[in-house]
Formats: sequence, C-alpha cells, structure tokens
Amino acid sequence: MSAHRPSSTRRLPRLALAAGVAVTLVCAVACPRAEAAIRSEVDATRIGLEDQLQLTITVDGASAPNQVPPPPLGNLRVVGGPSVSTQVSLVNGSLSQSRSWTYWLQPAAAGQAEVGAVRVRVGSNEETAPAIAIEVVAGSVKPRRPARRAMDPFAQDPLDELFGRPRGRVAEPRVFVEARPSRTSLYVGEPLLLTYSIYTQASVSGLEFGNAPQFGGFWVEDLTPPPNGSGEPATVEGIGYRRFTVMLKLLFPTKAGRLTIPPISVRLAMSRQSLFDAGFVAERSTKPITVEVKPIPDTPGFSGAVGRFKTSSAVDRPNLALGEAATLRFKVEGSGNLKWIDRAPDVSVTGAKVYPPQTKSDLKTQPTGIVGSRTWEFVVVPQTAGMLEIPALRFSYFDPAAGRILESETAPLPLRVEGGTPGAMIPAPPAGTGLARPTGGPLALRADLEARSPGALSLPGGMVGLLAGACLLLHAGLWGAGPLARRFAGARSPAGRAGPRRDVRGVLRDLERVGRDGMSKEKAAGLIERTIHGVFGSLDDAEDERGRAVRQLLEDVQLVRYAPQLGEYSERLRELAARAGEVVRKWA
Amino acid sequence: MGVRLARAAVVAIALAGVLGGSIAHATTAEDRFRAANALARHADYPKAIAAYDELARSGFESAALYWNWAQAAAARGATGEALWALLRARELDPGDRAVRRDIERLREGANLDRAEIAPEPLAALARWTRRFRLDLVAVVLMAASLAAHAWLRWRRWAPRLANLTWATLVLGLLAAVVPAVGSLARPTGAVVRRGAALLDAASPTAEALGTLREGEVVPILETSGTYVRVEDSSGARGWALTDDVRSLTAAPGRRERAGY
Repeated sequence: MSAHRPSSTRRLPRLALAAGVAVTLVCAVACPRAEAAIRSEVDATRIGLEDQLQLTITVDGASAPNQVPPPPLGNLRVVGGPSVSTQVSLVNGSLSQSRSWTYWLQPAAAGQAEVGAVRVRVGSNEETAPAIAIEVVAGSVKPRRPARRAMDPFAQDPLDELFGRPRGRVAEPRVFVEARPSRTSLYVGEPLLLTYSIYTQASVSGLEFGNAPQFGGFWVEDLTPPPNGSGEPATVEGIGYRRFTVMLKLLFPTKAGRLTIPPISVRLAMSRQSLFDAGFVAERSTKPITVEVKPIPDTPGFSGAVGRFKTSSAVDRPNLALGEAATLRFKVEGSGNLKWIDRAPDVSVTGAKVYPPQTKSDLKTQPTGIVGSRTWEFVVVPQTAGMLEIPALRFSYFDPAAGRILESETAPLPLRVEGGTPGAMIPAPPAGTGLARPTGGPLALRADLEARSPGALSLPGGMVGLLAGACLLLHAGLWGAGPLARRFAGARSPAGRAGPRRDVRGVLRDLERVGRDGMSKEKAAGLIERTIHGVFGSLDDAEDERGRAVRQLLEDVQLVRYAPQLGEYSERLRELAARAGEVVRKWA
Repeated sequence: MGVRLARAAVVAIALAGVLGGSIAHATTAEDRFRAANALARHADYPKAIAAYDELARSGFESAALYWNWAQAAAARGATGEALWALLRARELDPGDRAVRRDIERLREGANLDRAEIAPEPLAALARWTRRFRLDLVAVVLMAASLAAHAWLRWRRWAPRLANLTWATLVLGLLAAVVPAVGSLARPTGAVVRRGAALLDAASPTAEALGTLREGEVVPILETSGTYVRVEDSSGARGWALTDDVRSLTAAPGRRERAGY
C-alpha cells in the first residue's frame, strides 16, 4: 500500500477481509459445508497498461483438486505463476481446507479485458467461477507497492500505531543465479564444464530463461543436470542459501584467444512465504565469464584431437585366400574431443587394395569430456598371394596435461594370403599411389605424334543434319522440276501441236499390257493408238523424223486394227507395242 | 609482261615461304614430341607433361600425344589426369583399342563405375560417328542419291536408277541421324585433381559445397572465366576450376562451347 494513502482508506480492505474471514468462519461452523466451492478474484478491475493484475483462484473444500486449468484470458497474458498455496484450519473441532492458485497477468492493450470463467470438476460436479471484466487504461493506475505484500493485511501493523514504534518486517528472501565455469584457462579443444545454479532462500515455483544462452567460439554439448531434490545448502558471503543446479553445458573452445560467455537472464517465480504473501517474480542475470583459450600446435599430420587417447588395430582375418577381403579396424579411445575427429589415418598396404573406411563411434558426453571410442574400418583386398603386412598406424593428439603433441602407434599386423603363386597373381600397386601400373618397366610411349588423327576431319553433327535437310529439299525440287518443265515446254509448243500429255512411265506400263489377258486385236491396237496419241498428240504437220516415225507407227497399228480377223495377230501386236515403246523412249 | 613476271615471282616466293614454314613447324612439333617423350622416359614427368600440354595448346593434338601424356601422368600418380588424357585420346581416335583398354584399367583402379565416366550417352553416338566416319558416309550417300535423281529427271527412264536413288537417300538419311543426334550431347570434363572442390559460386571467395571424385566425368553446364559449372554423379551442381575439371570436348586452352 502506498505510504501516502489515507489511513481510513488503508484500513478498508483489511476490515473487509477480516469481515469476510469472520463470515466464512461462521458459515463454516453454522452451515452444512459444501463439497467444494470455487472463487476467482482479481486485485483490481481497472488497471493501467503498465500494471500487473493478480488473479487468485481459490477452491475451498477437502476435495480440492491438485490442479486448476488457467481460465481463458482476453487482452491479458500470463507473466507469472501459478503459485500454489494450501491453507488448513481447525475451528471448533471442524477442519476446513482451501487451495489457491495465483497468476500475474499483464494487459496487452488499452481497452476491455476479461478473465474468463473458471471451471473445475470436483468429483462428479463441475464448479464454475464467473468471468471478470477488466478495464485497461493507458499508463499506470495501480499504486506502486512491494509485490510480496499485495494481499498482506498486516503490511502496516496496527500495533505500530498502538505502540508508536515500527515492528521489524519480514526480510525479502534472497535469490540469485550463477554461471560457474570449471576453469577459466584451457587449450583449444579442451572441455569446460559450465554450471548454471540458482541460490535461493525461498522455494522457486517456476523458472524461465529470458534469452537463449549464446556460446560464440565454443562447440557446445548438453549435459543433464543432476536431480536437485530440495537442493544443497550453500553459503555465499556468510548468507545461507539452497543451491539448485538448473543447467549444465560442456563447452569446447574452437579458437584461441580471450572468449567471453555472455550473461543470461532468468525469470524466477517465487512461491508465497505465508498465508498473506502472494509471492513474486524475480528477474536475475548471471555475470559474464571470460575464458583464456590457449592455442594448440598445428603440425603436419596432427589429427586435431585434444585429450588422452590410446589406439589399437586389429584385422578380422589374418589368414585368407586370394580374392577374399579382410577388415582392418583402427580404434581410438579415451577422453577428449574425439567427436571432432573425422579424418581417417592413411592406410597403405603393399600388395593389397585398401578401400575408404567406414567410421563407427561409441561416445558419451560426461562432465569430464567426451568419453568413448571411434573406430575406422578399412576393407583390405589382397592383390597378390604371400605374406603381407599392414603397417603401423599412427594417431597424434594434443595432451593438455603434457602441453605437447603425443603420438600413439599400433603394432604392424601380418596378413597371410594363400592361393596362386606368391607375388604373381596380380601385380602389387606401388605404395602411396592410387594407380596400379601393370608393370614397373619403361613407359609404353608412342613414337610419332600423328597429329592428323582420323577424327580430326570429321564434320560437325549439326552440319551433317543441315546437309541432310538440304538434300531432302533438293530431292523435292527435282521431283517438282519434271512436271514444271513439261508444263513449260507445253506452253512453248507451236499452235495446233499439242504437247505430250502423259508421263513416259505410265505409257510404257500401258504398252506392256498389250496382248495380255485375252485382249482382242482391235482393243490392243486401239490401246497402242491411244497411247501414242496421248504421248505425242497430233503430229500431222510434223515433217521431222519424229513425226514421220510416229505416223508410220500409227498407220501400221491402224492396219492391224481394221484388218479382218484372218489369223493370229498377237505376235504382230507385241511387235507393234515394242516399236511403240522404242518410239516413246526415243522421242517422248 | 615484265610486271606480270615480277608478280608471279612474288607470289611463288610467298607460297614457298608459307609451305616451308608449315613444314618446318610440323617438324618442330614432331621434335618437341620426341623431346617430351625423352623427358618421360627419364622420369621427368612434370616437364614431360608440360611439353605435351604445350603441344596440345599449339593445336598438335593426337591420340598418340594424349596416350603418352596419360602414361606420364599415371607414372606420376595422377590418376585423374591420366584418365582424362586417355578419354581425350579416345575422343580423337575412338577406334584405338589400346586407349579403350587403358581407360578400363584406370577406371577399375580408381574404383569408378562405368556410368561415372560416361554421364552422357549421346556422346557415345558422337564417338561412333567419328569412329565409323558416319558423317562422310552420310554425305556421300546423299550426294549419290541427288546425282541419281538428277540423272533420272533429265535423262531417260531407268527403273534401276530410281531404286538406287531411293536406297541411297534412305541410307544417307539414316547415317546422318547418328551424328546429328550425337551433336546434342552436353560437353563433359574429367576431374583431374584429388579433392577438387565443388564451389557455390564462380568466385575466389566462394565456399566449398563438397568435393568431386578424382577421375569422374561430369557434364559441363556453363562456363565463366576460369570456372565451369558442373553436375556430379550424385546430382550436386556447383562450380569448379577449369584446372580441376578439364574438358573432354575441347582442346586444352580452348574455351568450352556454351553450356545448355
């Protein structure tokens, strides 16, 4: 309550609350008690946009549920809670019980807001508390007051006025959050355990991270915090707390230098301490942490591993037949940043082909680092019979304790290959090269340049396609040229002399029909005559050799045609058809 | 008359100079080739390869040149480069059996699938064209069909000539289809360097999307300066340096034709 508030006004809620308590107690004794009753109350029905509204839902009765769903909210959002409190009282031998859930609400915009109806199922009945309308105005209209005393009717102790001296107030519970690194100086790739803890003197009912933790320059692994229970006692600057570990991170610096872990903010919902305490929401932040990261040497062949490791290698089949494959397993185990290491060791076996490896990991993240093993499996296919040797495989890592790069080396492994003539089946590839030359002799070089290769004068495919198109066009032109030429020749022929009207191939086909299929001499001669006329037209005036030849042929044909049927004319007709064919070929 | 004689003499001298220069140039190329071979025989592979490269850039390409180049590269341990040289030799002389045999040997040595060195099926048609000279066959057949047709039109009727016209035309068109379709193949290149990066842009500041497999043949989709845009066998597309992915369809030092 405000210190400037008139005393009468200050007393009013207290008196009202005292009266309410009295009525409740009277009712509890005098009336038959109901199974359960639900109330929904707010600390104000007119608030400012900057104010917070406190909503308390109370269920009276022995059968009060453990949870009450939050009511639907209009133009309001939950910024804290719920904090739960249970009150048990024994009055005149009668036990009464109530349970309260308190929310802190923030209006979203000026105007009307509403806390919706609260419905709770108690046994077979559903109890309902009505909705509450809230008016939201700009700014702040609620008097500023310490949040923890929101419902405390004894915030101003009446005995202070009675005795003329203030009584000591209950101290506000202390709470803070801390980020604690396991070390502040380490090497690149070395693990750092970062523990986030809450130190509190009161119970915390809710926790919310205000901003997501940022760890620039680190590779982060999450760890599960240990079960806190009721926390562990801790003393900071002479003050006692309960410490709860809320988050564990395992950080691996990825670069050298001075790295900073920025602070994170946490919102803590503190439970009420007494019947008249509503609890409060506290915002706390960690302090930034600066870490000195030392570089690790970068030497050729260094794997990048940091920690303590040991290596081993094994082959599944030390004895095998030529044509079979063996599996070589190279295992690195220990504690450190093994999850980072992907590069397989270089494996080269003289007389065998080694295929790229498969990687298998069995790693666990622990507070001390990543512990486990990583195995590379190589398939080795011998190319020759005999005794082969898988060479020693090396793995270099940086040991932070020693401060230098150490090397772990496996023992060479023998590989006995049986079958065929030793060293004669498939030539062994030279170590270190991916190419297997059939012989190790001189190069099979060609002596002459032969700069004119057979393919050098080839035509482009597109050009060939164009030529094919042009060829088709020319063929089409040739096909069209014949009739055009005949038409052109016909147009130029002298008056009274008709040009050839039929094409030569059709004429010759007609002439071949003469004398076939029992054709009569009149019909056969008529066919020849029509054909000749069809080809040459009228040549009555033509005095040239062609005209004379055609006229002579026609006369002979007509002679046969109109002669009486005195004998067999088929031979004569075939002769005339042949003559006609010659005339056509020669003169048409 | 005197002027004409003087002009003729000048022309004759110029022709003699040009022909003589060409012959001398050719002789020099043969000499350079032999010198490069000598370097290779003395195991000076880098210099031998540089000499072969210079010859190819000068226009003296041949299957023999790339064969020797491949031998030197293989002896040096550069599998990708050797495979590229052999594939280039096959482009120039598709009928060379020794080249085909060595390509298979290198492919198996590099654990490459057949499809990984032949991403363009149409390119095989183009090689068929060059191997069997289907382009010239098509041209000759089509010319014969035209000649027969013309004879048929302007001379006398001859049924056998008509059949010949049709037959040569059909065969010529069939022969022309192969090179025409083969010319639609996308240009390709071979990855010559182990761990060649596939970049997200044609820029020195580009970031690597992954690595290309040495010896793999990839279609070239686009060129930009000293970068080519390629697609690897897994379907990943990106840019690579022309030094890492050498063209199989263009001579060294010559720009790849425009992409598709």
